[in-house]
Amino acid sequence: MVREAIPSEGASGGQNSQRNYHYRRRFLAGVGAAGSLALAGCTDSLGAGGSSAVKVGFVLPFSGTYSLLGESIENGFKLHVDDLGGEIDGTEVEYVKKDTGADTSTGVSITKEFIQKEQVDFLVGPVSSAVAAAMLPEVEKQASALWLNANSGNFKLVAEGCSKYHFRTAFNSWQTSAPLARFVMDNVADNVCVSYADYAFGQQSKTFFSEEFEKAGGTVVDEVAAPLGTSDYSSFLQEIENSGADAVYSFFAGGDAVNYVKQFSEFGLNDKMTQTGSGFLLSADTLPAQGEAALGMYSLLHYTPTKQSERNQAFVEAYRGAHDTAPNVYACQGYDAALAAEKAVTEAGGTDVEQLVDALSGAKIDSPRGNFRFNPKTNDPIHDLDVRKVVSADGGVTNEIVETLESVEGPTWNCSL
Amino acid sequence: MVTTTALAKATLLGVEMGMTLILITVGLTLIFGMMDVINFAHGSLYMLGAYFGFALTAQSGNFWLALLVVPLAVAVVGALIEIFALRPLYGRNPLYHILLTFGLAIIIQGLVTDIWGGQVRNISTPDALSGAIDLGLISYPTYRVFLLVVSTLIVVALWLAITRSNFGVLMRASAHDSEMVDALGVDVAKVFTAVFVLGSALAGLAGVLLGTARAVDPSMGAAVIIQAFAIVVIGGLGSFRGAVVGALVVGLLNAYGPMVAPSLTDTLIFVLMAVVLLLKPSGLFGQPEGV
Repeated sequence: MVREAIPSEGASGGQNSQRNYHYRRRFLAGVGAAGSLALAGCTDSLGAGGSSAVKVGFVLPFSGTYSLLGESIENGFKLHVDDLGGEIDGTEVEYVKKDTGADTSTGVSITKEFIQKEQVDFLVGPVSSAVAAAMLPEVEKQASALWLNANSGNFKLVAEGCSKYHFRTAFNSWQTSAPLARFVMDNVADNVCVSYADYAFGQQSKTFFSEEFEKAGGTVVDEVAAPLGTSDYSSFLQEIENSGADAVYSFFAGGDAVNYVKQFSEFGLNDKMTQTGSGFLLSADTLPAQGEAALGMYSLLHYTPTKQSERNQAFVEAYRGAHDTAPNVYACQGYDAALAAEKAVTEAGGTDVEQLVDALSGAKIDSPRGNFRFNPKTNDPIHDLDVRKVVSADGGVTNEIVETLESVEGPTWNCSL
Repeated sequence: MVTTTALAKATLLGVEMGMTLILITVGLTLIFGMMDVINFAHGSLYMLGAYFGFALTAQSGNFWLALLVVPLAVAVVGALIEIFALRPLYGRNPLYHILLTFGLAIIIQGLVTDIWGGQVRNISTPDALSGAIDLGLISYPTYRVFLLVVSTLIVVALWLAITRSNFGVLMRASAHDSEMVDALGVDVAKVFTAVFVLGSALAGLAGVLLGTARAVDPSMGAAVIIQAFAIVVIGGLGSFRGAVVGALVVGLLNAYGPMVAPSLTDTLIFVLMAVVLLLKPSGLFGQPEGV
């Protein structure tokens, strides 16, 4: 509350005096509310001189079902900062991290603590969309940290939140579903059955895909919803088979994706229909477990580790060198969050949040996934999307890019920043 | 639209899901019936079986070896838990057992995540069991037929052992009145260990068997234990027959559910549990004495 003003106080000789005037007013209000000048004095007086650190707070799950995602995002972020020698624009980078689990209220209290007590400049995370939705009002209210959302794809963060402090270095639920509809219509079949994990993100993916598929002239024959965390999909697969559709579009992720794909093939459905889906259905972290069962399936995602570009291959090599495993999409999203942080701090010449926001609005990021830019209206990424097909590779299976949809610009849901 | 084929397939599915669930619920119910221990770590033993199976098949490439060795390995873990952790707590408030086994579940999950990471794994299906078998009316995956046969054989063998063998008599007697059995000169502590080891071995076996058909990840234990408890409560805590019938009913519910109300499939089990508890609080076959 207090701190938001201090860096701009220091920078008040600088570029935007009107803005700074505004801050000074907010600053006074903030001090009044805190009721203590001493607090303001001890917190970050060095920040004004630009010599204190760039502070990054990881609001991520490090335990439970999503721990792998949390670790990957952190690893990706740190990989880039380490490349920079641990500092951005001559300022050292400091980290704080706390485990959100998948718990909404924990996510909110961590956010509060990071912003108020730790006074972070950047929030990185979360993984769960429910946590993200709960964080949003807090970030907006505090207005003193820039939020690099490195995974939550819930479109409502933009449609209902539309906060200038929120930048997605990941994706939104429209991007990983709808753009595949045209491809399926043109190359696979004109009728589909949709199956999905029955929770917010699954439902959004299903709806976005279905709308777009029908717009393209296709028919959605049937919908099959399975509870999140189902381990035996056989009876749901029977429903899918009974629909008689020529193709299936699905959203499942993690363990669900492995169960679903393995059993889809076990019951011989891949002889009768073509499986397509969001990229999380067939991603680098599920493919080794899915194995040959996944052969011939199509999916759509913004990052494919096997992408043949120098930028990506350098990233894959560096990541492999540091962590002994290929990066997954989450690692790339974390890495891109670090790229965005670098860009913002360098361009803003400091860590004043309003200047960070200005610097990042509409900015281009040179990511391993391909160049992308933030949509100035929503702060969502406008990026290339890869349509991939699972093919055999030595000793296993891998995703091969069959088509790249360039700079896909999704809906903005009446958000206009 | 429900055709005969669809109905036949769903029924077969239900029976198969039920039979494999029995491998998990039987251990849970026997352990409770004998020792009054609600074993929250049972799901973790199942998960341990799956991870041991994954590691061994990945190393040796031999699924059959894993099927043989893993239950023994998990049985050893079970024996250690019973002797060193549970035994000192017998005769105390059951809450101690719940806390202990709950803690063990968390520890095992943490260890597994540390060793194998959070990534989803899978045991590769042996070649001999991949593909599908034509059963006349329907075709069914070979591996699932194998699952059905193996679990049925095990359940029948257990049933015979409990009702016909000397050890079975001892088990039922200890469950009924362990003090009296003790007074008659039988070392009840050994019977307890044996039952816990048997339950652990079954959970380990289920882990290997299901680790090929399903995702192997650190949360699989927690996922299965909730459903397993619901089944045991429906069937009657401590009753072997209850665990078998309960698992079959839930299996069929899981199979028919998606045909009628897919989004309610999960809920149906707990609705059934609530109804059973209202009408017959001890569960379908739950007599305190009944094994």
